[in-house]
Amino acid sequence: MAAENNTPTHRALRMATMGAGVAGSYLSYIVQRAFIGRAKGERKLKSTHTRVARRIRDEMQTLRGPAMKLGQTLSLQTGILPDETLAELMSLQMEAPGMHPSLMRVQVKRSLGREPEEIFAKFAPEPFAAASLGQVHEATTREHQRVAVKIQYPGIRETVENDFKWFRTVSKPAQASGHIPKEVIDEMEQQIVAETDYRLEADNINFFREKLSPLSFVEVPRVFREYSTDKVLTMSFVGGRHLEQFLKQKPNQKLRDRLGTNLVELFYFQLLKLGAFHADPHWGNYLFNDNASIGLVDFGCAKKLGPAELKYLKNVFLYSGDRHSPEFRRVLETNYRAQGKKLSTPAYRALVSFSEKFYRNVYPPERDRHELFDFADKTFLTDYIHEATRLFRTKHVMSEYLFMARAEMGLYHTLHALKARVPTSDIVRKYL
Amino acid sequence: MATKPKSTTKAPPRTRSTKTRPTGKRAQNKEAIRKRIVKSALNLFQTKGFDTTTTKAIARKAGIAEGTVFNYFRTKEDIALSFFEEEVDHAIAAVRDNPRLRKAPIEEKLFTLVHSQLEYLAPYERFIGAALIHALNPASHLGPFSHRAQQLRHRYLAFVTELIEESSPKQQHDALSWLVPEAFWIYYLGVLLFWLYDSSEDKEHTVAFLDRSLHVGVAFLTNGRR
Repeated sequence: MAAENNTPTHRALRMATMGAGVAGSYLSYIVQRAFIGRAKGERKLKSTHTRVARRIRDEMQTLRGPAMKLGQTLSLQTGILPDETLAELMSLQMEAPGMHPSLMRVQVKRSLGREPEEIFAKFAPEPFAAASLGQVHEATTREHQRVAVKIQYPGIRETVENDFKWFRTVSKPAQASGHIPKEVIDEMEQQIVAETDYRLEADNINFFREKLSPLSFVEVPRVFREYSTDKVLTMSFVGGRHLEQFLKQKPNQKLRDRLGTNLVELFYFQLLKLGAFHADPHWGNYLFNDNASIGLVDFGCAKKLGPAELKYLKNVFLYSGDRHSPEFRRVLETNYRAQGKKLSTPAYRALVSFSEKFYRNVYPPERDRHELFDFADKTFLTDYIHEATRLFRTKHVMSEYLFMARAEMGLYHTLHALKARVPTSDIVRKYL
Repeated sequence: MATKPKSTTKAPPRTRSTKTRPTGKRAQNKEAIRKRIVKSALNLFQTKGFDTTTTKAIARKAGIAEGTVFNYFRTKEDIALSFFEEEVDHAIAAVRDNPRLRKAPIEEKLFTLVHSQLEYLAPYERFIGAALIHALNPASHLGPFSHRAQQLRHRYLAFVTELIEESSPKQQHDALSWLVPEAFWIYYLGVLLFWLYDSSEDKEHTVAFLDRSLHVGVAFLTNGRR
């Protein structure tokens, strides 16, 4: 995220948290006045009051990780934020508050029955990474295997469930008006609650580890079931650097192109070949290596597609004919009918526009065009966001598509940051 | 709650178990019986309820004569108090005897303190709920007006004060300092109530609540400075 304090994201976040912030400072003002009384000068009171308020508000905010994720998905759905803000908001990662070593130990003991030092030959008390919903520690098993142990912050699942209970109540009017369809909330709740169960994530890792094996440039960790529960996940250590650190070493264009190509290949292999994809490809979940290999971590959100959806995607991708034609309309209608829905005129228009302005540009369908698409230019990203929000605002969008949009947004953000040049259509064509 | 523990500028002496129990075979034997009485009594308090448990039943459960119980404790309330003293000793030791905590931030020390208390109390949850109500009776030995209960509370809060003072530089002490132990006691009772009513699996909510509330509380304590 940009460092300046005046980016649209910051403004939006500040606005969103103003309510909590104001309440927090007011509370601290009353309490401090009661405590300090006239003993200290008014001026000091004022400065400490703002400082305390700020800290307390920070603490409160960290509790709202799941709510943030909810907000991310919803802001896309409802279009209440400007496009630029949305892009940055989507690239934020949900983070749980950090755990100090004592709390971390309590969590491990509650989960695995023993202290981490009793389980592992070596265990680093300080985490090396923040994960969604928790933190990750490095350890070595008694069999001398280097592992990453992901530990969940206590009470997350209940927090998510409570957030949704609250949200369902306050969003009643929006549900009635169709701005936030109930099935979208259901889908989100199901996904986000699923992410709090690390056993499901372990299943996802095993699934992808097996299915992605044809791609030699991808490394997926191995799960250690004997040291894993619903709240602790132990997996083999995957090497590589996060995008930001990777870019700091100024990788040359060739390496960035190769990585970009691999990322696109990884994405379409999942989407079109497996019909299942890693739906939270925030760049924090990718690890990059100098040999252009990619390590995948964090499989909390995996989404599977049905055969009908897969068929539809294969039909529309690289559609070579006229996208305003009745034939293209039929393809779209068939898909909507398969989901028991009717394709409305605004949705149809939005889909055609999306397809024309974004997909035809990034994935030119002509067979004889083998040029590389250059992701360095930001236009493609703003096009994507613009078209995606337009589609979502029609209120006639498949709820599954929310997760695909999240995945695409993550992919395009990463490709843009890499400034990669990629033979997009050639890759997609392989899997059609 | 009328008397406040003195907050001295000098670090107070280390508070450890006040009773140093004699060693030796006879003494060991006595200690074993004492422990057996406490354990049997607590099990009965938990299963049968505090009010309905008699010293007779306690003696029977411990496998000793009723008279022997009185050699150790005057009343069943004394037994309960003795258990709470052990609980506090245990929790203080959990913080003091853990070398990992020596340089830990205050939140972590207080977390360990309260969490060890709750762990200690966990097998007797039903009784703890009853004891809280019981303590409201002004005549109760468990209540805030009993000398022994007050002593225990002071020892506990002196330890909390000691932890806070050793973790914060002197100049940060201000008008708030003297209030801290009192505030902490109310906070502790709040955590206890939260824990008693926590229906989440394995009382996981209490752990999260304890962690978050301590972060917020310490922010207050240090006026937002870290």
